[in-house]
Amino acid sequence: MKLPVKIALGVVFFLALAGILAALYLYNKQHKDLQKVKPDYVITASELQKEFESDESGSTAKYVNRIIEVSGIIGSVKRGEQNIVSVTLKTESDFSVVICTFPPATDPEKLVTGKNVTIRGECSGFLMDVLLNNCAVVK
Amino acid sequence: MKRIVVLFSLAFLFLAANAQKYMTRNGFIGFNSHTAVEDIKADNNQVASVLDIATGEIVFQVLIKSFHFEKALMEEHFNENYMESEKFPKSTFRGKITNLSAIDFSKEGKYDVVVEGDLNIHDVTNKVSAKGNLEVISGGINANSKFSIVPEDYKINIPGVVRDNIAKNLEVTVSMKYLPVENK
Repeated sequence: MKLPVKIALGVVFFLALAGILAALYLYNKQHKDLQKVKPDYVITASELQKEFESDESGSTAKYVNRIIEVSGIIGSVKRGEQNIVSVTLKTESDFSVVICTFPPATDPEKLVTGKNVTIRGECSGFLMDVLLNNCAVVK
Repeated sequence: MKRIVVLFSLAFLFLAANAQKYMTRNGFIGFNSHTAVEDIKADNNQVASVLDIATGEIVFQVLIKSFHFEKALMEEHFNENYMESEKFPKSTFRGKITNLSAIDFSKEGKYDVVVEGDLNIHDVTNKVSAKGNLEVISGGINANSKFSIVPEDYKINIPGVVRDNIAKNLEVTVSMKYLPVENK
């Protein structure tokens, strides 16, 4: 075989391998560990809820899919299906809160009703409450 | 005559005051797809739902973005390609329990129910009917249901290359733990 053909084959083989590796990497990509990712916004639970209540579509565009570090007082700690933990953070509204849901099989410590907490989460949007997912306790 | 009107309005007021609503904000809705190629499942633990036991009306609301997949890439495809969650962020169901009279909300126990109503997914609304059960417990009501939906009914386009990886019928599981709404 001539040298250029060998090189061409080598390049094709290398590209194919890189392609397979990239596909495997993408397929198995993990959810972000929010403990290690920098937040896009740092805000209090009250301010966040107020923004969504006064301008839902604007806030949706601003916050959804972003990582938000939110601080507030824990209103309740609930365990749902498969023991998934959800924490509500109190706001100035009586009715609407910020709900932070943790990934499956995580059991965050230090979550006690009435305590101050800072939580990082990915914003899903607003129903009755502002919803954060894939959360991690920062402090 | 006047007296009758007053009586009726009083009765109505009394009924209205007794009309109890139940609510949850962290209900569960999940779905799964089983094919020979792979099993896919997604969970949403942030379902908001209200149940009115006086009228039998029941409403569910979810954010598409709140569905959690095991694989990050699937979650991305689900949101961006299939559900277009930026354009259509919410999905809702509004319906009624059709056999409300068969349920005694004052007595603890499990009751079979049939719910009918409008399911809106991906900006397409279809009439659906599902069987389930309500469990009256002390201090609340639990609701469970399983039914299946077909993605194509909601104009969700799944490209041919991966169509065989996703089941034709997705099995949906609903599990709610309602608490009474306190009247202020």
